[in-house]
Amino acid sequence: MRPQANRHHPPIVELIGVGRAYGSRVAVDDIHVALHPGELTFLVGPSGAGKTTLLKLINREIRPTAGEVWVAGLPAHRLKPSKVAEVRRKVGVVFQDFKLLPALTALENVAFALQASDLRVSRNEARERSLDALEAVGLHDRGSSFPNQLSGGQQQRVAIARAVVAQPPVLIADEPTGNLDQDTALEIMDLFEDIAAWGTAVLVATHNIEIVTRLQRRVVTLVDGRLVRDQPAGQTGRMAWLASS
Amino acid sequence: MAGVVVKGSFRPRGGVIRVVAANLLRSLFGNAARSWMRNLGSTAPALGSMTLLLLMTGLVGLTALALHNLEQEQAMQASLLHVYLRDGAPMAQVYDLWSRLEDDPRVGGVVFVSKDDALARAQHIPGLPDLANASESNPFPASLDVQVKRIGDVGAIDAMVRYDPIVDPVVPSSYDRGAYQRVQAVLFGLAIAGFAFVGLLGFVAVTVTMNSIKAAIHSRRDEIAIMQLVGAPRWMVRGPFVVEGAITGALAGVFAGAITFGLAMAGIAGASNSFTQFAPGVDTTVAVLAAVVVIGAGLALGSGSSVLSLRRHMES
Repeated sequence: MRPQANRHHPPIVELIGVGRAYGSRVAVDDIHVALHPGELTFLVGPSGAGKTTLLKLINREIRPTAGEVWVAGLPAHRLKPSKVAEVRRKVGVVFQDFKLLPALTALENVAFALQASDLRVSRNEARERSLDALEAVGLHDRGSSFPNQLSGGQQQRVAIARAVVAQPPVLIADEPTGNLDQDTALEIMDLFEDIAAWGTAVLVATHNIEIVTRLQRRVVTLVDGRLVRDQPAGQTGRMAWLASS
Repeated sequence: MAGVVVKGSFRPRGGVIRVVAANLLRSLFGNAARSWMRNLGSTAPALGSMTLLLLMTGLVGLTALALHNLEQEQAMQASLLHVYLRDGAPMAQVYDLWSRLEDDPRVGGVVFVSKDDALARAQHIPGLPDLANASESNPFPASLDVQVKRIGDVGAIDAMVRYDPIVDPVVPSSYDRGAYQRVQAVLFGLAIAGFAFVGLLGFVAVTVTMNSIKAAIHSRRDEIAIMQLVGAPRWMVRGPFVVEGAITGALAGVFAGAITFGLAMAGIAGASNSFTQFAPGVDTTVAVLAAVVVIGAGLALGSGSSVLSLRRHMES
């Protein structure tokens, strides 16, 4: 049974009239979108449409030049640099290139994120919870492996475990299957579905249309920095933007 | 995987404060030490250049101290005016001049040195015993040794006493108008050169260290970016780098301090007599102090350079 988004709850992420320009080039413009707890949303669009910019705005890697970005009740659009970490603790992030710390084992990578978000977590607790997270992504026996000893799919799983171990209310993923084969990509997407089922709002930017059409989840389409379509789950139709990509 | 839920947080059995303190220590020092060991290759240039610069700073510092002491010694000697008395000068007039000098506010003290005392003193000055023995009578005059408070007043005191009837008309005093000025000019020049050199050395030390540490940080920029992206607070990102810088600086300081101490002790032990003349005031205590200062400077240089480099890196 597919878990349903908690739409009767207030949105956990809300972008209101958001715009971001790099000099004279507009990356995203007048974006209005809300993500709810338990909702898995795909962010699609051609290259350069502004998908990564949108994710960076949510994680407060960049500030909007217009509009407001609210994440778990925090005004990411006007947070001081010293407070940015507060937003990032509410947002788990998964990258296409995994971005694991190469000198740390899989377990240490996961535990690091947990303790970075909460100093009150003891070493033993961090270890236990990290092992749980690795078990949840099917890597309980690879905790002592370093990233370079893992396959791409396994590294992405570690990255997902790292992103969710602190149980953030929001998870964003930027082309998480871009470096993976189709079977592994589907396994990763299964993980995202499960994470959404826990009540996390999951936003996945992807080019993988097969997965998008197969999972039939909410799809937000960006073209040239503008939100051109917001299709609810189960109503994923033709990907109009494909013609322009 | 459905149904598998990552465990929620649970509070540790021990006190929260203890856990937070342990995490703080581990995040700052444990991770920094481990990371320092791992990145020794990229830190080595910074370590080498800092050691060299700190060693030079230590040696220049010791030289400056010796020069300062030499200057003080010279000033002390130059402000001691020997007023030579005519042979057979009546003691009543000597006491009169003595008390006039003591009453002068520019004078710190006056000591009477009899002819016998002068001879006895001369016995300890190289070369003079032969001169004393060559003469059947005592050739050394009695004198009033006047300690003038300010070196600039020595000339005025000399002018006041040099034509006194009880003062030797041929060699009235030890006052040599140009001698002290010449020494002072040389020492002043050395001091200026020393300050300029230390300033330049400091600038080079900070620049070289910053660049070396910047290179080390740059090589780990991905690591910093990842730490920031997973929500590590600023101190958790910067702290270990600053501690790493401090470790590098302290280690460079220890190396440089040990060499500085060793060289100073070798100088003291190997050439004790002549060394005293060339490096007055430099003894074991000063050598230890110099080593400690060099270690402290290394600590400050390493951590300070890391803070500056990190700030610039994170702003860019």
